[in-house]
Amino acid sequence: MVATYARRHGLKPLGAGIGLRRSFYEELPRTGRALDWVEVIPENFLTLGGRSQRTLDACAERWPVLPHGVGLNIGGPDALDVDYVTRLAALVARVDAPFFSDHLCYSRLDGVYLHDLLPLPFTEAAVEHVVPRVREVMARVGRPFLLENPSYYARMPGGTLSESDFLRHVVEEADCGLLLDVNNVYVNALNHGYDARAFVDSLPLERVVQVHLAGHTRYPDVIIDTHGDRVCDDVWSLYRYVLRRTGPVATLIEWDQDIPSLDAVLDEADVARAALREVAGT
Amino acid sequence: MKPALKHFFDSMGAYFARPGPESLERLYAEHPGWDAPRERVAVYGDFVRGHVRGVLEKVFPLVRGAVGAEAWSALVEDFTLTRPARHHELNHLAEGFPAFVADAAASRGLAPFVPALARFEWTDFAVFASEAPSPESVERLTANPTLMVLEHPFRLCAYVRAKGALAEPEAGDELALLWRHPARLVTFYVEATPPALLVLKMAVEGLSVEDVAAATGMSAADLRSSVERFSLDGLVLAPRGSGV
Repeated sequence: MVATYARRHGLKPLGAGIGLRRSFYEELPRTGRALDWVEVIPENFLTLGGRSQRTLDACAERWPVLPHGVGLNIGGPDALDVDYVTRLAALVARVDAPFFSDHLCYSRLDGVYLHDLLPLPFTEAAVEHVVPRVREVMARVGRPFLLENPSYYARMPGGTLSESDFLRHVVEEADCGLLLDVNNVYVNALNHGYDARAFVDSLPLERVVQVHLAGHTRYPDVIIDTHGDRVCDDVWSLYRYVLRRTGPVATLIEWDQDIPSLDAVLDEADVARAALREVAGT
Repeated sequence: MKPALKHFFDSMGAYFARPGPESLERLYAEHPGWDAPRERVAVYGDFVRGHVRGVLEKVFPLVRGAVGAEAWSALVEDFTLTRPARHHELNHLAEGFPAFVADAAASRGLAPFVPALARFEWTDFAVFASEAPSPESVERLTANPTLMVLEHPFRLCAYVRAKGALAEPEAGDELALLWRHPARLVTFYVEATPPALLVLKMAVEGLSVEDVAAATGMSAADLRSSVERFSLDGLVLAPRGSGV
């Protein structure tokens, strides 16, 4: 399948990347290991100076940098935070990011940042609420924008749409890209008892520009998307299933808790790169 | 926004204002027929509360150690109820904690130095993360743009340097200087001494070594030595090739 959203916006597959985390600030910019791009959480660079800025500049000299936010609050009831979006646009321009992304969720209520990715109800009303906000963000930032399918542990009340229909309606009506977090698909499928591959098949895969891979943590009653472990075999398998349908797309190894050595994270990126080459036939 | 969606957000907002078993039941009462497992929804309440605690424990390790586990937990719980996360950057939620501690200190029987220590620890972080850029080069002696000055009636610099190993800081007025080293990008702090304040005065007022030597009778060599030392520490920024 052709990634038509990417083609329409002139976005090329970037290869395998990792997230810039504080524990890598000194080592990452100097690494001699293969790395195709770096993802940054913009909230760590919008208002924090010092080491954050020096490291960001050093990375941007070597690799494409993709901002992936957690604080846009695209689904929330509060008006978009103009200061945040203005700073985000400046960051995107500064690193010359080909695109940027955030999560299809809400993260602020009544002016209070909850600093979490909170699920929306899968309703037409939520679609209607989110779509113009996505368009506003894209207009303000002026670059292609991707929304990520978030993990969720409980379906919110009042849902009238399936999860995949909800995602499809938002990204198609807003005309944005999809950041497909394969670990989230896996975690959600297990937590809510559905078939992960059937779910993938029901998505607008022509809009997938980027994929996230991560580890998770199993508890007796729920699996939490902790980003605290290696990518498990089942998720690697699901990733290859996705790639066969999307073709090569930028792939990120996310590791945010119990972060291991940089080499361990880059080892995971190597596995993703091999899968990308395999599907590209190179 | 459709009324049903607004109702959803209002009910979630009420829950997140004080996550717990009672507020969870009130949330479910707002949505009859909602069949999601309660423990799954409670995960989100725990996450949201946990973010505040996590930041406070990262930024204020010495306050936490100084007040003890029980008092610390109560401070965190009550501060969380003030809903301090008003900024998109997570760590900013800690900015109001020193004032909260100061207001709470007497009624909770906290040691008198704890509010000043909280202010010191927040300033340590604020300096570290300051948006003030360190210039690549300067044309004349310049005070470090991240410099912050704290005044308190305790010897906090020694206490912080000992990482709280002392029982408590000695009493005594202290003027503490905190700044981010321009190359190492970590926070430096010292108790202000007459040489440090003099070098800062030279930077702020544009005084040359010769001017100060002439005005004070101090040795120009000693003055240069002070300027060099505080330049190496990053308290002041000196022009390249200035010989200091």
